Amino acid sequence: MRGASSVLAWLAAIVAASALAFWLGGYATDVYRKMLIWIALALSYNFLFGIAGQVAFSHFAFAGVGAYAVVILAHKIGLPFGAAFIGALALCALLSYIVALPSTRLEGFYLALATLAFSQLVLVVIDEGGGLTGGTGGIANYRLPDVLGYAIRGPWYTVLLVLLVALTLWVLVRLDHSAFGRACRAIRDNAVAATAMGVDVRHVKVLAFTLTSTLAGLAGVGYAYVDNVINPSVFGLENMFLLLFMVIIGGSGSHLGAIIGAVLVYLAPFLLEPIVGHGFLVVFGVLVVLTILFQPAGLAGLLASRSARHAT
Amino acid sequence: MTGALLAASGLTKHFGGLTAVEGLELELLPGEILALIGPNGAGKTTTFNLIAGVFPPSAGSITLDGVRIDGMPVHRIAALGLMRTFQHNMPFAGMPLADNILVGRHTHFRAGLVDILLGLRRFREEEAAARRRAAELVTLVGLGDEVDRDVSTLPFGEGRLLELARALAGEPRVILLDEPAAGLTQPEMTRLAATIRDIAARGIAVLLIEHDMHFLLPLAHRVVVLNFGRKIAEGTPDEIARNPEVIEAYLGGAVSGTTARLGHA
Repeated sequence: MRGASSVLAWLAAIVAASALAFWLGGYATDVYRKMLIWIALALSYNFLFGIAGQVAFSHFAFAGVGAYAVVILAHKIGLPFGAAFIGALALCALLSYIVALPSTRLEGFYLALATLAFSQLVLVVIDEGGGLTGGTGGIANYRLPDVLGYAIRGPWYTVLLVLLVALTLWVLVRLDHSAFGRACRAIRDNAVAATAMGVDVRHVKVLAFTLTSTLAGLAGVGYAYVDNVINPSVFGLENMFLLLFMVIIGGSGSHLGAIIGAVLVYLAPFLLEPIVGHGFLVVFGVLVVLTILFQPAGLAGLLASRSARHAT
Repeated sequence: MTGALLAASGLTKHFGGLTAVEGLELELLPGEILALIGPNGAGKTTTFNLIAGVFPPSAGSITLDGVRIDGMPVHRIAALGLMRTFQHNMPFAGMPLADNILVGRHTHFRAGLVDILLGLRRFREEEAAARRRAAELVTLVGLGDEVDRDVSTLPFGEGRLLELARALAGEPRVILLDEPAAGLTQPEMTRLAATIRDIAARGIAVLLIEHDMHFLLPLAHRVVVLNFGRKIAEGTPDEIARNPEVIEAYLGGAVSGTTARLGHA
């Protein structure tokens, strides 16, 4: 049975990725957790940018909204964690919907500008938020409350992040293989033809933006309890462009590519920094240019064409 | 005329000072193949775009099975069962052939978010049925039996056939074909003519723009001739081929018989 074997493959991957959490040391755990957050963000951004074709730069801002909202609601206002969690996601959904309504009318460059402006606005609000957001210093000294009497600590929190990645991937893959996913790709490739085929372009664009931005918010919630510190600089444009690099280098439009890109681009500085210092950003820049010029399907496309050659 | 599936009345479109279509009356019966001919700039594609809802008419009305569709957004008109092909191939170049065709079926998918996310039966059955239909259509239009081809490398003629298969995937009641035979080889044209007859025989109304009279005249049940946005003649292919006004105005009197290619003068 194809269905049963694919469920087994999912379970095996989740168990393997979770088992790793119990084996890694303190520093490696921190790296691993952040890598998982990057993967989750790259997956949802790949759907928005690579599949729905929306050149939006608000993804990290929504991760920031999710992280700040859950911390403020749970630890500043003192809501029960479940309510804070749902509230944070609801806020991301509502805010991204409000942003999507006008900005999905815009194409390419103008959508990029509008979402850049929104990102900057989020940073300004956090910076100027006084006691509520902690300003430029951010918020610290909080920790994940016990959930139903269980304290999710150490490797078990890492397992939770593995499940977050799995959930994100599951939702995006299922959607990609539905009429909604095809409509997203069709709009990306030719919006005029998509409309003529009965696709409500505006509706699909708004839905794709809202959904992926809410998933970014979910990753942001996960991030908030990795270091139990949040500060605005994390959600700025530098990381946003790193996310874009991940998706392009991995293979825009491919889920596997988003994972490969996130892992490579996130881990590369650990290897490159001792050699080239901060110059690793230059290396990424060159890689992105080379990818766009010579391998638009990214590393995932390279893998696919190699396996196709082996098959024939 | 009663029983018309698609009807346009007093259809007019101005672009600034230019009148692209003026006072056009058009009626299309179920199962009928109606050809729209005329030289370049006669208003044929503008008429298609008006019917498909790309832009609203300046005046006049369009009804589909009695429902006013003028002024409706394109995607809603498509959902009512009016599908089209484009004069220039407009594939979804980043998607495999089968998925291109499935987009044409977009308005027929009923599975909700929960069905999709949990892979429930309703979703799986709907997808499987749609994929079977897409494979049938690939074969029907003559694209072979390879459903996962890369459409970005399709030759032009096969791109025309993809346009047709994609529009048919919407199970339309009315189909608008904008120069479907352009760029096809002779065997492909013969097959296309048979496919169009088959579509019409199933009760679908076909509105067709075509320049190749050799292809068109044996195929069409009725022909409407446009020039400068006005209807100047209407009749059976034989009547149109013999109409002195049509010959004088559009064939320039110099082109012989039914093999003339209108509009490329």
